[in-house]
Amino acid sequence: MREVSFGQYYPSNSAVHKMDARVKLLLTIAFIVMVFLVKSLYAYIAIGVFILLTTLVSRVPVLKVLKSIKAIIFIVVIMSIINLFANAEGKVLCSWWIFTITDGGIITAVNLALRLIFLVMGTSLLTYTTTPMELTDGMESLMYPLKLIKVPTHDIAIIMSIALRFIPILMEEVDKIMMAQKARGACFDRGGLLQRAKALLPVLIPLFVSAFRRADELALALDARCYNATPNRTKYKKATLAIRDLIATLITGIFIVLVVAINNNFWGLY
Amino acid sequence: MQIKVEGLKYTYSPKTPFEKVALDDISFTINEGDTIGIIGSTGSGKSTLCQHFNALIRISHGKIFVGDMELHSKKLDLGVLRKTVGMLFQYPEYQLFADTVKDDVEFGPLNFGMPKEEVGELAKYALELTGLDFDAVKDKSPFELSGGQKRRAAIAGVIASRPEILVLDEPTAGLDPQGKKEILDLVKKLKESYVKTVIMISHNMDEIAEYCNRVIVLNDSKLIYDTTPRELFSNPEKLKETGLEVPHVVAISSMLKEGGIDLGETPLTKEEFISLLTRRLKCEK
Ligand SMILES: Nc1ncnc2c1ncn2[C@@H]1O[C@H](COP(=O)(O)OP(=O)(O)OP(=O)(O)O)[C@@H](O)[C@H]1O
Ligand SMILES: [Mg+2]
Repeated sequence: MREVSFGQYYPSNSAVHKMDARVKLLLTIAFIVMVFLVKSLYAYIAIGVFILLTTLVSRVPVLKVLKSIKAIIFIVVIMSIINLFANAEGKVLCSWWIFTITDGGIITAVNLALRLIFLVMGTSLLTYTTTPMELTDGMESLMYPLKLIKVPTHDIAIIMSIALRFIPILMEEVDKIMMAQKARGACFDRGGLLQRAKALLPVLIPLFVSAFRRADELALALDARCYNATPNRTKYKKATLAIRDLIATLITGIFIVLVVAINNNFWGLY
Repeated sequence: MQIKVEGLKYTYSPKTPFEKVALDDISFTINEGDTIGIIGSTGSGKSTLCQHFNALIRISHGKIFVGDMELHSKKLDLGVLRKTVGMLFQYPEYQLFADTVKDDVEFGPLNFGMPKEEVGELAKYALELTGLDFDAVKDKSPFELSGGQKRRAAIAGVIASRPEILVLDEPTAGLDPQGKKEILDLVKKLKESYVKTVIMISHNMDEIAEYCNRVIVLNDSKLIYDTTPRELFSNPEKLKETGLEVPHVVAISSMLKEGGIDLGETPLTKEEFISLLTRRLKCEK
């Protein structure tokens, strides 16, 4: 259970890890927007090279980033198949009964698959290199304008960081409860879908009970320490922008310009 | 049934930055009839070791034999093994889930494929053994019980399937002195009926001294002592190096020794201590 690696922070000392979380967030958003605007295959190749290079710089094993795709491969396949048949533009390549495959369909299907894959690779690289704490602090800081119109940004941030903090705790809990039930002869990998779902009941019920108990305890502990989200809390670790953030922004900016140029066939490569 | 551990090694999350060696080349044998204590400072690998005994953790290096079952073999029948080796986790009350106490206790035996007619009897017997009133609690929701009752119900859920070997991970953690004694007396009672071998993790040296005939000390993932409690607690200096304490009676008798009253032997229980002391005082007269 603890091996679930999708998006779990991967500690290292690389330049990408040390970057300011706000910059990383903004650059990731820019990256995603770009991925969804690009249409040419050559541009996708460029994006692939870029994300590979970033991964190498971050010293997160490439295999780990590729593994994060595994979690969504099912969705990617389904979406691609739907798009393959839904788009009937262009030359008909083959047709059978109500299904027709056109070259337009193939292009949209491939486009969509690549977009989803790059989306997940980009965001998982963000969560691999940024601790949940930095991430929520970064988000809170970026949400600053909302504060001016009385949105409780700090509350949102603290709720988010508590939720994130609870994920590993609950995973550990699932681990323990599963072990205890296995010791009593429970079996989680036998039988059909319905039987398997039913077998999870002895895990889910204690899990919910303990999640509520923990939530209660946490609320009491917060109250006991007079926690409240006063307007101007100071931070123990203040995030500051450094030269490396500037450099990373410049590199990403240049890269985006490059991809847009390739996408519009600026140099007449194809 | 004998348990034999040979060259057991275990690493959590190998080949990642979270890599952690939890067991390093552990070998020992537990004989039928033993009540064996496993002690060691926190994080020394006790729980990891015990979770190997009923294949909750599959072996990555080394061998374990339980009777004629080979736990390192791929063809191992998990059902038979887990019925033979019962495992009680720390805070077992967190494993309760069913609508009624009776259903919860019957969960194990039913999973192990015991006949339906027998299971009711087994549940009743197990619940009464733990000191709960069967008719009073059987139709209650396990979540309505008090803390101590919950733990008893959970223990009943483990012992209902009649394990031959019982593994207990800190069974008395978080209980008051009275509750501790009741749980340990229950273990003793079980040992006199169908449980043949008891393996007990504990941080409480008094319990180890009083209830175990053998003790294994883990330190930093390695097995450093495999001996009897009397032998172990006779050398308190050696034990202190591993960050462990000695039982209270041992501590008191060594203080008496420093003050000039040498009891001669190392007492393990209160009764032994008192008889040694009275003998000594009578001699003096
Ligand atoms: N699921 C896990 N994943 C990674 N590391 C773990 C896991 N479980 C235990 N460990 C680590 O393995 C080591 C041994 O843990 P174990 O639980 O066996 O110790 P223990 O002797 O039972 O300690 P305690 O007395 O606190 O219960 C510890 O350093 C612990 O951090
Ligand atoms: Mg433990």
